Amino acid sequence: MAKKEKKTNVPDLRNPAYYENRELSWIAFDERCLHEARNEDNPLMERLKFLSITASNLDEFFMVRVASLKDMVDAEYKKRDIAGLTASEQLERVETKLHQFVDEQYATWNKMLLPLLTENGIEVIRSARELTEEDEAFVDRYFDEFIYPVLTPMAVDSSRPFPLIRNMTLNIGALVTKKDGSGETEFATVQVPGGIGRVFELPPEGDRRRLVLLEEIILRNMPKLFMNYDIVCAATYRVGRNADLSIDEDEAEDLLKEIEKQLKMRQWGRAIRLEVDRDIDGRLLSHIRGELAVEEHEIYRIDGPLDLTFLMKYYSLSGLDSLKEHRYVSKQPVPALSREEDLRDIFAKIREGDILMHHPYETFDPVVRFVEQAAADDDVLAIKQTLYRVSGNSPIIAALARAAERGKQVSVLVELKARFDEEHNIVWAKMLEQAGCHVIYGLVGLKTHCKITLVVRREEDGIRRYVHLATGNYNDSTAKLYTDIGLFTCEEDYGEDATAVFNMLSGYSEPVVWNKLCLAPLWLKTRILTLIRRETDNARAGLPARIIAKMNSLCHEDVIAALYEASCAGVKIDLIVRGICCLKAGVPGVSENITVRSIVGNFLEHSRIFCFENAGNPEYFCSSADWMPRNLERRVEIMFPVEKEQQKQKLRHILDTELADTEKAHLLQADGRYVPAMNGDGPAVNSQKIFGDEAEQAVKHRGGSDSRVFEPRTAIE
Amino acid sequence: MSEICAAIDVGSYEISMKVVEIGGKKGVRELDHVKRRIDLGSESYASGKLGTGHITEICHILNDFRQVMKTWGVTRFRACGTSALRESSNSSVVLEQIEKRTGIRVELLSNSEQRFLDYKAVALKNEEFERIIEKPSAIVDIGGGSVQISLFDRNKLVTSQNLRMGVLRLRESINRMGIGLKKLNPMTCELIRAQLSVFSRMYLKDREFPNIIIVDDYIAPILQKKKILGEIGLLSETSEKYPRGVVSASNLIRFMDSVPTEAQGANCDRLGISYDNLTLVYISGLIIKCIAEVMKTETIWAPGVTLCDGIIYEYAEKRDVLSVRHDFEEDIIASAYHLSSRYKGNRRRSELIGELSLGIFDAMASIHGLGEREKLLLQIAAILHDCGKYISMMNLGDSSYAIIMATEIIGLSHKERQIIAGSVRGIYAAVPEYDRKEAANALLDEYARMTILKLTAILRVASGLDRSHLKKLKGAAFSLKDDKLVISTDTAADITLEKKLFSTRAEFFEEIFGIRPVIRNQRGG
Repeated sequence: MAKKEKKTNVPDLRNPAYYENRELSWIAFDERCLHEARNEDNPLMERLKFLSITASNLDEFFMVRVASLKDMVDAEYKKRDIAGLTASEQLERVETKLHQFVDEQYATWNKMLLPLLTENGIEVIRSARELTEEDEAFVDRYFDEFIYPVLTPMAVDSSRPFPLIRNMTLNIGALVTKKDGSGETEFATVQVPGGIGRVFELPPEGDRRRLVLLEEIILRNMPKLFMNYDIVCAATYRVGRNADLSIDEDEAEDLLKEIEKQLKMRQWGRAIRLEVDRDIDGRLLSHIRGELAVEEHEIYRIDGPLDLTFLMKYYSLSGLDSLKEHRYVSKQPVPALSREEDLRDIFAKIREGDILMHHPYETFDPVVRFVEQAAADDDVLAIKQTLYRVSGNSPIIAALARAAERGKQVSVLVELKARFDEEHNIVWAKMLEQAGCHVIYGLVGLKTHCKITLVVRREEDGIRRYVHLATGNYNDSTAKLYTDIGLFTCEEDYGEDATAVFNMLSGYSEPVVWNKLCLAPLWLKTRILTLIRRETDNARAGLPARIIAKMNSLCHEDVIAALYEASCAGVKIDLIVRGICCLKAGVPGVSENITVRSIVGNFLEHSRIFCFENAGNPEYFCSSADWMPRNLERRVEIMFPVEKEQQKQKLRHILDTELADTEKAHLLQADGRYVPAMNGDGPAVNSQKIFGDEAEQAVKHRGGSDSRVFEPRTAIE
Repeated sequence: MSEICAAIDVGSYEISMKVVEIGGKKGVRELDHVKRRIDLGSESYASGKLGTGHITEICHILNDFRQVMKTWGVTRFRACGTSALRESSNSSVVLEQIEKRTGIRVELLSNSEQRFLDYKAVALKNEEFERIIEKPSAIVDIGGGSVQISLFDRNKLVTSQNLRMGVLRLRESINRMGIGLKKLNPMTCELIRAQLSVFSRMYLKDREFPNIIIVDDYIAPILQKKKILGEIGLLSETSEKYPRGVVSASNLIRFMDSVPTEAQGANCDRLGISYDNLTLVYISGLIIKCIAEVMKTETIWAPGVTLCDGIIYEYAEKRDVLSVRHDFEEDIIASAYHLSSRYKGNRRRSELIGELSLGIFDAMASIHGLGEREKLLLQIAAILHDCGKYISMMNLGDSSYAIIMATEIIGLSHKERQIIAGSVRGIYAAVPEYDRKEAANALLDEYARMTILKLTAILRVASGLDRSHLKKLKGAAFSLKDDKLVISTDTAADITLEKKLFSTRAEFFEEIFGIRPVIRNQRGG
């Protein structure tokens, strides 16, 4: 409990003026991604990829967050957010920002990336009108053979109602008139099929490659779809709806209840965003707009192709390797497991000592091998694992199924509600059940977000538990792209806790005491607050006090207020927050001892690492949880301590290197802007590149020798 | 090679299971402890039986436990049921159904057996336990239905009483009376003190018990956490000196007096407990507080053991993996003497009858086939041979039987108590009952009936040897010669009375063992 002290000069740290709205902060994050698309140091293909990412990010943001804000407005939800804004105030600001952002996206595309593509011998044909006669014949043949059969053109008149335009699909709308001149102008629409590749490559002209988009081919062939009509005008459009998704878990409970009450009144499937080609005919637009009942501020007039996620397809075109990033090294062997014989008996290596892994620089393979070995090992009695998001063809799931078939007790906690993954998850959960696994679906009302695996093995000197704890999912695909920390241990304290975690997830009562692990939603928030306040007290007592914390998002009001209090007490706080950050850094009298930086780089920063100075005896923790209300209050999460000296140094090195990053870091300013970190006179530092190089060096150093000694890296600071 | 074992406690409010590894490096090592809430007590105490809903739920839980056992490769388990099952009139049906549907046979424990297992688990904390009971101490074993208070006198447990004020039972009363959280504290204390006043008048008098040992499910886990104790101001110098689970009574009393019971959320946070436990934590805390007050307690020790621990320890002891330093048989003997003295028994005669009985028992070893445990029962029966005379000198046998059956002796099973009571009653019967149709015998199994007959035969001879109550045959020796039990004495006293009256008793002895006892006075009597 917070001590109530007489604070005379200390400002009210809960004042909304000291907090940033989370949606606006999220947009700032997408702007940082866009910055990478604009960053000339990045190879062209990487820049296209970043632009594509900003677009898919934005789609999710609309579906989840903007939809949620609209729900709040509809439900007349009065509560103000952390920054003191009502839902309608937020919505207004967010929409203004989003319009600016979309303009920036397309400016990036039109002014920077398109010309660069041309420069690099890739011509993007913007309109079918630019096609040569030969090309026309070529695309028309393709249209007739492959596209036409899958199209469903629909005309709308008084007898045929406006069709349901599906969420996030790309469509072409047209105004048409009967060829015989009878009747009025009618509206017609056709969906650009999702099953056919959107990027179509024309035969090269010399060494120039030429690309055209599917919708351009359809647009050109519109008359074939509406044979008895003349096409007056036609243009692409795309609708975003708040349909078919559950209420976002990020929202407060009272809001959920409010919305539930109002559920009947909620306009399911209501359009909340309409993207149209900038050059769309005014009559066509007003028709679409009228039918979808969108308001002016919900319309985005796009200067270029709609839905930029197609740029990811460019990335996978063959022959463009020279335009991609190759400076980053990843997937090096884990030093303690660098030889094949180490990997052959991972259990033996874990018995020699805890193994801390930094992915993706160090490969995720040992985690897969760990589960595979457990499945095949006669001495293993049981395997228990939490699964949140897994890859399509997951070797881990295959191994778990094998283990169950071999008669081992396999318990798998499957989180069905992992956002956008529900259907996928149900399929493999069923498969595991069929193989004889004991599949549990977690606790009512709480998503299981923690990442933990427990293997129970019968050994000569008794039962031994092997535990893997991590900050990232058991997903071998994303593990190549996300930065995460994983820990293998067979220490009894961790093993006992791991058993308790799975008992809790199976509905048994909580244990009386936890040894090492700290769990949300029960204890984690309090623990974090306590750790922050200990630094505050230490600073006041004149002892060394410092906090370095790395996470994806920071928006828990209690935690931020505690950080402000710590800053006021003189604790130096350095935060590495990739995404949303509702904390304002460097505000005089509130947070002048706090710095916030965000690293958006080649790999997705995903690990959560916390360091508390603890009066000169620093404590390190890794966690699956961000400092967000949903993580700390509505999810099952784990924070685990890392206590071995070498491993603490490894974590410290990660934090220090990221704090020194000058290439991929942005610094949050007191006014809320993020500005690129500058290297000044010092050398340029790219933390992700350094980690990759170091991982490679570590293996080279180790070579074939048997030395297991880590070389402590020297801090960069 | 170590062995993986499980113990299951089908309790009144939860079913729990502990899985341990026995015989490894650590002796007994806990691997898993799972608990699931199920409120059997409320139904059982209110309606006297358990319905299908609860039986099905028990089966579900036990089947889940089987999965957990599989995780650890459990090869041996024991499941015990306590008061909620014991007090339900359809317990046999319930147990049968459970076994059919889960393959787990749940064994019913009598109250004293259950408490003895708890007690054993406490006593297995050898050093701490011995240190605590150096001073006058009590074990307060708080269950769902009742609280068992056992008192120690000079290192020995001498008396044990069961008070029907378990946490669940109290919570039910409180709910029935519609007492809100705000008034929880004073009202609960009133209920507790009403029961305690009788106990205190009868058994405590003005004695003080500086140490009490707590066995419970709610307060003990909190007292185990030093960190929380520090935060709520319960740590003191005492706690520093002692192992985990020790607090000073005055601190705990002060805490219970000052805790704002209505501040639910804050208290859960402070105590690190979940919401649904909160009221039970208060009630358990108030029980401890009230008991500590009447006993003038200074130090409270909650070793954090449960019935499951007791079940496991008992097995580990059998396997010689663990050993308890404390001598439970001495407790039983001390309790018997304590009981005898409460009913004004004649200690010296008890001792003499004991001496003679045990002499006969030893001499007859090859004939009766009984073991050390039965020898202890014989000794206890000898100590209690005359307790009934406090009520009626005429119906000495029946009164003694009633007293013994109504008094719990921690360490003896219910059946053992029946054997003792039956044997004592047999001393005074004109013809001892060995007809199995006899009401008291009908419920006993073959072993118990036979043991009663054998012990009765021995006790009748022994008491016959002191017919005059003048201890003339003190120091007699016993030996088996062919088909005779020769009782040799060299007393100078006149033993005519003993010899004359001896024949009827000897006849019964002969009927039972096929051996005829004869008295030979070395001085030629």
